[in-house]
Amino acid sequence: MKLHIFCLSAMMVLLTGCAVEKQRLLPNLSPAPAMEETSCSAAVFPRGKWQFIHAIDFSMKNGSGTAVIGVTSLSRNTIDCALVTIEGLTLFEAAYEEEKGLEIRRAVPPFDNPLFAEGLMQDLRAIFQPPTGGNMQTGQIPGATAVCRYADNMGRVIDVLPEADDCWQINIYNSEMTLDRSIAGRSCRTNGSAQVPEYLELNSYGQTGYTLKMTLIRADKL
Amino acid sequence: MKLHTLLIAFCLFIFTPLASFGSADRNQVHLHSIRADFVQEKHLKILVRPLISTGFFAFQAPRSLRWEYLTPVPSIMLMHNGKLNKYTKTDGQFTEQRGMGVDSMQFMLGEISNWLEGRFRENEMFTASFPDEKTILLKPRDQTLAGLISSIELKLADQRGILDTITIFEGTDSYTRMTFSNAVINKNIPASLFSQK
Repeated sequence: MKLHIFCLSAMMVLLTGCAVEKQRLLPNLSPAPAMEETSCSAAVFPRGKWQFIHAIDFSMKNGSGTAVIGVTSLSRNTIDCALVTIEGLTLFEAAYEEEKGLEIRRAVPPFDNPLFAEGLMQDLRAIFQPPTGGNMQTGQIPGATAVCRYADNMGRVIDVLPEADDCWQINIYNSEMTLDRSIAGRSCRTNGSAQVPEYLELNSYGQTGYTLKMTLIRADKL
Repeated sequence: MKLHTLLIAFCLFIFTPLASFGSADRNQVHLHSIRADFVQEKHLKILVRPLISTGFFAFQAPRSLRWEYLTPVPSIMLMHNGKLNKYTKTDGQFTEQRGMGVDSMQFMLGEISNWLEGRFRENEMFTASFPDEKTILLKPRDQTLAGLISSIELKLADQRGILDTITIFEGTDSYTRMTFSNAVINKNIPASLFSQK
């Protein structure tokens, strides 16, 4: 009896695992009514100069994590960002400019690891800037009426879903076409032409996976 | 220096002078407890307007502290009976933040005891100067700490033993200012305030 229960449990675990893995593979894109690329980028990525302040809850797979306040300023090709503790101590400050790359202005241990800075900026660019380079196709995937699919010059595929739940979603697949990151906006509110999510959740998959839960404190159009 | 040590030290700098300055000058006030509200303004070069946080703190000698932010990110730091816990509200409920070391806590309590006993000038981390009657200027002795905090300015309120503002300068364009109000000193505070979320 006990052996049967064990076998059934093992099968359930395996099947569940397979189902999860299947969901993480790049889905096929099927034709959909003609759709402009701008309808994706305008709905998801803020245009012009903005400043966002979020309460960020960072958690690793092993359960460790921390809560900080994030400041993100956007202008044409530049992202400025800062991480501040709730008590007001500035932990990290950096800027990214397309032409100049990443400039770290302040980094308190353990935020002084260059990989952390690169990863953080990569996440911010994925959230706030439309994908660059490569081709773009529109269509639909199971569970989503409209998708803009970008293939970037690093071999990645980025699906932008401008109408997911009550907001939008971005799925980033690595060169092996496996889901690497997903970003889900929730409770969007219209601010000018932009859909600003009250809540954002970024999930990074793989062995060093982590989750960023970002609750909007304020958004300023500059 | 580990991050949690820095964070605790940062909190320490914010509240201990408030409880201790009175015992540092000639108009000595024996503070065994204090409770006050605060408004915290964070100024950064990239911020278009300061980030405002509000909260309150309570301290009771010798070793009990509650430091609570109400907005924008609810957060509570509790220190009582040798235990230190920090909680932050996420997904609608308070969850404990891990990684607060006992060594840091002991360091912090040692500093508090020193200051409550009036050993303000003996602080190992800062040198103190008094530019005028109502101002105390603290500068870090340690170079590592100086890389994080360039100075701390304490402004005294009219009421003896109470501070009006604390400004923590990180650099030329970055500082945190805390303004205190509704301070109540030497009233008994129930132990539950220091042990319960």
